[in-house]
Amino acid sequence: MARPMGPVRLRRTNYVTLTIGACLCLFILYFLVQPGSNTSASSSNSPNTNSPPIRKPAASRSKLIGDRSPVRRFNLNNVTITPDPIENQEVVLILTPMARFYQEYWDNLLNLDYPHELISLGFILPKNKEGNAATAALQAQVTKVQKGPLKNRFRSVVIERQDFDSPITSQDEGERHKMENQKVRRSSMSRARNSLLFTTLGVETSWVLWLDADIVETPPSLIQDLAAHDKPLIVPNCYQRYTDPETGKLAERPYDFNSWQDSPTAQEIAAKMDPDDIILEGYREMATYRSLMAYMADQGDEQHIEVPLDGVGGTALLVKADVHRDGAMFPPFPFYNLIETEGFAKMAKRLGWAATGLPNYKVYHYNE
Amino acid sequence: MFTFGLAGSTTAMLMDTVRYYDLSNVQGTARGWEREERILLCVPLRDAEPHLPMMFSHLRNLTYPHHLMDLAFLVSDSKDRTLELLVELLEALQAHEDPKQPYGEISIIEKDFGQKVNQDVESRHGFAAQASRRKLMAQARNWLLSATLRPYHSWVYWRDVDVETAPFTIVEDLMRHNKDVIVPNVWRPLPDWLGGEQPYDLNSWQESETALALADTLDEDAVIVEGYAEYATWRPHLAYLRDPYGDPDMEMEIDGVGGVSILAKARVFRSGVHFPAFSFEKHAETEGFGKMAKRMQFSVVGLPHYTIWHLYEPSVDDIKHMEEMERERLAKEAEEKEKAEKEKKIKEQFDDTNSQWEKDKSELQNIAKQASEGQKSESKKKGKSKAEDGSPADSRKETIPNSKKGNAEDSAKAVDTKKKSNPAKADS
Repeated sequence: MARPMGPVRLRRTNYVTLTIGACLCLFILYFLVQPGSNTSASSSNSPNTNSPPIRKPAASRSKLIGDRSPVRRFNLNNVTITPDPIENQEVVLILTPMARFYQEYWDNLLNLDYPHELISLGFILPKNKEGNAATAALQAQVTKVQKGPLKNRFRSVVIERQDFDSPITSQDEGERHKMENQKVRRSSMSRARNSLLFTTLGVETSWVLWLDADIVETPPSLIQDLAAHDKPLIVPNCYQRYTDPETGKLAERPYDFNSWQDSPTAQEIAAKMDPDDIILEGYREMATYRSLMAYMADQGDEQHIEVPLDGVGGTALLVKADVHRDGAMFPPFPFYNLIETEGFAKMAKRLGWAATGLPNYKVYHYNE
Repeated sequence: MFTFGLAGSTTAMLMDTVRYYDLSNVQGTARGWEREERILLCVPLRDAEPHLPMMFSHLRNLTYPHHLMDLAFLVSDSKDRTLELLVELLEALQAHEDPKQPYGEISIIEKDFGQKVNQDVESRHGFAAQASRRKLMAQARNWLLSATLRPYHSWVYWRDVDVETAPFTIVEDLMRHNKDVIVPNVWRPLPDWLGGEQPYDLNSWQESETALALADTLDEDAVIVEGYAEYATWRPHLAYLRDPYGDPDMEMEIDGVGGVSILAKARVFRSGVHFPAFSFEKHAETEGFGKMAKRMQFSVVGLPHYTIWHLYEPSVDDIKHMEEMERERLAKEAEEKEKAEKEKKIKEQFDDTNSQWEKDKSELQNIAKQASEGQKSESKKKGKSKAEDGSPADSRKETIPNSKKGNAEDSAKAVDTKKKSNPAKADS
């Protein structure tokens, strides 16, 4: 009737509900406190375990006091970079900026016969819808491999998300290759590469293999083959397989035009250019007459012919870690009118490291 | 419960090898200590044993939460006990009884580059050696950073080992400005005879038209180094703009930065900005770093009135000058002694002349007495000429030491102006 509801409820409470309530409160309190202590413990531990000093550089652990970080020593004089990296147990860091996840890329990566315990992987993905999807797919695969047979597990895997926006959301071939979009796109690509490189290089890396996420086919011995040349920077020829629309047969065509030898024409163009502009390769509007490695391949089976290069592409590129440690990076700004991987070759050259190409040694790009 | 534990252990094993980082969480903000932002503190070392205890006193005093700071040292081409002492001091610091003292992750990187240039003050600062020396320094810095920067660092703080005095709050003070790259003003104390204090780091400057024009005329591999008469750039230097009573928060846009104490957001280094070990826009090392950061549109700022103090090590010139001063002091003492003796001698001689005079006088008086009558005017003339003879000797005694003192003063002044015209070491 017109009586207030409250008092009625109060009268109904008995000791059983009160004790249950008290128990619940304690339970909740317990779980409120628990995660706090857990996270603090794990956060203080996490930096230590990030780069375990397992192999050389002769890391001599000093005495550990409680949970305080030990003083760790790394002698980089002992990190070797030799033509026989497997024999010398040299760690290879494979770095991949990834916008889309291609299963073919991952399968090819798993097929590399360089010992996986000597391979560290680093990925960087943009923070957009496409990037989220790629991250999810990548994480699923990484988890599968790292929980799988020991033989297949990689030394370590770092997945990073970009802290800047990718300028073009569309990854479509046509849109991506428009000339005016190139500078912005490649500048952003450079930043992604540098961010990944300088946070993962660490103290034990001997070689850095740049492998784009759309490289779907390489010889399984890619790392050893390239390293055997003992060059500071070395690039295989990047091709693409396609079905010839006329004959209906499988064929291949050059894909990456960023590996080249400089020409007087290109240098003249650069001399007249504003320092903020870039010379691009593979565009009809700008004929550079550079000698492109893409067209140097011949039918002969001499796989290991070397050519000197002035610009390199980054689809697959093996670099001695010392080159990056000296500071050679992917300029996100026009550097001698060059950007990204081509600018990298130039910067390496300024530091005294020359680039080499292997016109007959091929890797294959995805074909959409 | 059992299955739970098993699942946990496999996850832990996986977590050991797989790591995920969102770099947008490590941008660096004005109040990093509140957001638990991690800093990588980088210190390049070479034959730095004598300075290490001083540096560790600074480390103990830093107020930024120590557990949020990772320390990274590069020991290269050292012939003294730098490495051994460093390990000793670090272990003591990590074992400190105060739980707030130990730092986060600690890495010592050893790498020898093959030292081509001597590290002593003189050859370090000679003009000819600068370019290759700076390139080597740059290389060392890049090796240190690339080996130790991690995806969880929000800031990187570069600090030289030979800073003598700096506020304990320097990290927070610089961070509060929320700039991509920021440096304080660096001066050094001097002995009184050199003026008491002096701008030290001349590598923090603003670009000038003159310097840009000069850069255009130079060879591709040339490196402009500030503070040498060889390159008159007329750039405004952070160091010279200091006002001891100025607002310490005042900011100044700069293009080249000095390396004594740089706070930079980690994203600057992640983007690829580094210390060029080649001539980048005619600059190398920290100056090239500033230039490259500007090229990538990062903010590069100096604080003209916020000053830290670099250790004073007398240069060979200074030591020479000090020896000269010592010699001068001794010479002066000797001279004063001589002077005193001379005076004594002169006094003695004076006494002689006085007595001679008295003698003469009495003789004269005798003569005068004898010839008093009739020869009055002649005797007066003689006395006058005698008096005139005495005065030149007097003035000579005064002027000789005077001119000598004047000369000494002049030469001291000349050294002083020389000091002022070339006041500081051009680098850190």
